[in-house]
Amino acid sequence: MVVMKKNKRGQVKIQQMAFMLIAVFIFFVLVGLFVLTFRFSGLKRSAAALEEKESLLLVTKLANSPEFSCEESFGNQINCIDGNKIMVLKDSINKYYDFWDVSNVIIMKTSLNTECTKGNYPDCDYIDVFSKGTQDIGFPVENFVTLCSKDSEEGRVYDNCEIAKLIVYYESTE
Amino acid sequence: MKKKGFLQISFQWLFAIIVGIVILFLTIYGITRLISTEEKVIGLKTSKEIGILLNPLETGFEEAKSSFLEFPVDTRVYATCDDFGDFGRQGIRISQKSLGKWTQAGEDIEFYNKYIFSKYPVEGRKMSLFSKPFEFPYKVANLIYMVSSNEYYCFIDAPDDIENEIENLNLENLLIEDCSESGYINVCFNGDLCDINVNYEAGEVEKGDGTVYFKSDALMYAGIFSDTQVYECQVKRLMKRVANLASLYIDKANLIAVSGCETNLNTELGRLITQARGLDNSRDLHSLISFIEEIDMKNKNNVQCKLW
Repeated sequence: MVVMKKNKRGQVKIQQMAFMLIAVFIFFVLVGLFVLTFRFSGLKRSAAALEEKESLLLVTKLANSPEFSCEESFGNQINCIDGNKIMVLKDSINKYYDFWDVSNVIIMKTSLNTECTKGNYPDCDYIDVFSKGTQDIGFPVENFVTLCSKDSEEGRVYDNCEIAKLIVYYESTE
Repeated sequence: MKKKGFLQISFQWLFAIIVGIVILFLTIYGITRLISTEEKVIGLKTSKEIGILLNPLETGFEEAKSSFLEFPVDTRVYATCDDFGDFGRQGIRISQKSLGKWTQAGEDIEFYNKYIFSKYPVEGRKMSLFSKPFEFPYKVANLIYMVSSNEYYCFIDAPDDIENEIENLNLENLLIEDCSESGYINVCFNGDLCDINVNYEAGEVEKGDGTVYFKSDALMYAGIFSDTQVYECQVKRLMKRVANLASLYIDKANLIAVSGCETNLNTELGRLITQARGLDNSRDLHSLISFIEEIDMKNKNNVQCKLW
């Protein structure tokens, strides 16, 4: 009887010890992670914060990239997208799939009813510049831009500029 | 008399010691592995963050823009360049100092529309950054220059517009004076005995690891602040984008011709595509200068139907 009692007490102590050692193990892991997080907490200025605060800037960046921008072909306009260039860019868009790190780019003039093609441009509603797909397309940011193209009436060439919305779906950094 | 052992240790203590040693060993091993993995993950995340933080520098139009990156620990940024594919690739990977040792640099985070000119690697806690648009003859990209704040560059006898630009950048490690202090990098525009010698008229930057050739101020800064190998690779990437944009402008010219807008630039742009794609190194840029000026002039003179 006495021997049995001693064995039981011993087993309990072994269990206590085991639990204690597991706790020590978890403690070390947590301390390790804590130290790691503080030492390498990335950049002092958070890119995530910048992404939120400057989302408009990110759209501006795209609008002013040489493949989109009017440059000086319609005078000196800021945030101006060259509609003619965009329509031809759509033909070679496969090259640009990973180029801007975005998943979808849409230029909306009035609504999302009639998609623009080379045949109906500029008498259409939106240009689907770039689309990686409908699944998991990221978060949208948008800004107003000037959409310009060369047009003609009775043999006279003129600049046709209108307000449009550039909608960009950014792939999340997380 | 019963003989006793040298050490009187109960079974519980023996068990605890053996299991304790095993668990502590596993803990240390696990934490080491975990830290190593986490370091790589943090390296990748930081590289991606650097890419995002560079975005504001890419929206400049005419003037140079400046900024900086600050890290909590000493960091090495490896800005890699690969000229393979339609646009080539800009890679960023980092290594950080932990307990006196540099962590292993992880995988590259890739960008296709960034052009970073820097040493390989650039090291420090703070990095000075500035950017400048590169035109050839149309706008091609905003070039980004990354310089460690530990490195001081002294521009000696630079042309007035370069001096003004550097002053306006307001970066503490770019100076416009003759620096005699050791460790400072002298960039001379009128001499050949400095660390970096710029022949502004001839479009050449001569330094320790070779001579590079430039066509505009944007590429001159690139030559000054980057390693020769990085510079040559980035120039090839830029020329690939020049060719792709030229192809886009040819298509645009054909499209607007339907509206009666004649540009008459297709032949020249076709030639530019061939020459830009066939560029071997930056020396070839010089043979293109007069041709680029000719295309630019032709486009500017076409007031009604400018292509860019």
